[in-house]
Amino acid sequence: MRKNIIIIIFIIFITIILPLATAHAQQVSLSLSPPLLELFIKPGKAIMVAYNLKNYSDPTFLNLKILPFEAKDNLGNIRIKSEFEGPVRFSLDNADLKLDQPFFLKTNDSQQILLRIRIPENITDGDYYYSLLAETIPPTSSEGIGSARAKATIGSNILVTISNSGNVDIKPKIALFSVRGKIFDSSDKIPVVLTVVNKGKNIIKPEGQISLKGNFGETAKYDIISKNILARSERLLEATPSALLDCDKGTDGACPASTLILSGFFIGKYNLSTEIRFGENSPTIFGFTTFYAFPFKIIAGIIFTSLIVVFIIKKEKILADI
Amino acid sequence: MDSSRFKIESANIEIAGGNKSSTSYKLADTVGQLAAGQYSSSGYVVKAGFQYLHSIIPFRFSISDINIDFGTLVPSTPSTATTNLTVYFGGAGQYQVTAVEEGPLKTQSSNAIPDTSCDGGANTCNESLAKVWSSASAYGFGYGMSGNDIPADFIDGTYFRPFPARTVAESPATVMTNINVGKNRSSTVTFKTNISSIQPAGSYQTVINFVATPSY
Repeated sequence: MRKNIIIIIFIIFITIILPLATAHAQQVSLSLSPPLLELFIKPGKAIMVAYNLKNYSDPTFLNLKILPFEAKDNLGNIRIKSEFEGPVRFSLDNADLKLDQPFFLKTNDSQQILLRIRIPENITDGDYYYSLLAETIPPTSSEGIGSARAKATIGSNILVTISNSGNVDIKPKIALFSVRGKIFDSSDKIPVVLTVVNKGKNIIKPEGQISLKGNFGETAKYDIISKNILARSERLLEATPSALLDCDKGTDGACPASTLILSGFFIGKYNLSTEIRFGENSPTIFGFTTFYAFPFKIIAGIIFTSLIVVFIIKKEKILADI
Repeated sequence: MDSSRFKIESANIEIAGGNKSSTSYKLADTVGQLAAGQYSSSGYVVKAGFQYLHSIIPFRFSISDINIDFGTLVPSTPSTATTNLTVYFGGAGQYQVTAVEEGPLKTQSSNAIPDTSCDGGANTCNESLAKVWSSASAYGFGYGMSGNDIPADFIDGTYFRPFPARTVAESPATVMTNINVGKNRSSTVTFKTNISSIQPAGSYQTVINFVATPSY
């Protein structure tokens, strides 16, 4: 009898309670590719670009829209503006889709988005930056309770350079090239910071290296990762291979952002130089900085050990004298 | 250079320009030209994806539960609910997730649970700074974060912030970001609300918009 009751409770749990519990966890999981589009285009021209939007989770209604963005900081983050602006015209070539009109996407279904980008005639040369955004329509709320509903939006950035002649305005400058600190322990990890400011009207893409040279002739070279720097903005560059600070391995975000983390055993004076280009035959910009490293921890350890040894010898000598 | 997924075309730069130098740095300005032949014939050059990454993992964003249910709210008894945010960014290099609320939790008759200021005094939080919110007499609505790539001010589970509100034109808050190339990054958002005994009864609702974007 008792066994039957347990079985009945188990069946009730499986058939009624478990489905109710899972029904509340409505998930959203979307992908959008490509994640970035760079377009160099003349006024009066139009192109069509195909995106792929995939729904990996529960069926949902989605809405597509285009909004302009600007650089938020020097780390590559963006600030999306709330209203559309700029001369670039966007529309969809899909027969069954329009911007700002909801559509339904089933689980594991993909939707090809045919985005037409048109530049009107007589537009002034310059850069314009936009995000293609796919946002879910939040579910209807439950009455009688306190609740928040989450809306998921995924974006893909579009960088448009309009140039009638094909000429671009390249005005880069190194805003900062230094190490965080000047004197280090030989075993310390050494963070290097390299920030480039783009004073021109068009996007630039740095290429180059950071070189390390020690006072014993040892050298190392680190390649700069070629990331875009938006017009009239600055960006912290990254170089590779880079070590990680301990805090980067964890879950917190307390580590200050760095271009490169040098690791190894350093002694003496080190010279760091950088050489950055912005495409074939472009001018090269340079930066230079130094740092010093000494084995403070090892010296402190030797002194501490010596003091203890001297103390022990003296104490034994006193005991022997007694 | 091309692959099965994208084509990279290098630029042809420098038609005119000049260099300027100082003691430490050198400023170069120039006028360049983009892939001259193709540009003049077709009128455009397109590049898709990131040059420095080759990955077949698309940029993907997930929310584990979009219904944030606090149940029936009891005065001076904080209610919490959680959801997980996950970002896959194999082909996007770096990313950010921002959050903004449509407005405070409110009823259809516009009774509102205000956004939290945490415990107040030295522990007064705002949209960009998390502080301790543990007092049962501190009322409001806010959120805490734990997991990967979250802001450093969410020190532990007692730290909260109010959401910025779109209705008063506040800028969305960055809740996850990573400038390094990585794999699946996941965080937990803890939503919290606490009401006073004079809070009018009703069904309090709002919408939180989480926006995930790759970098440029």
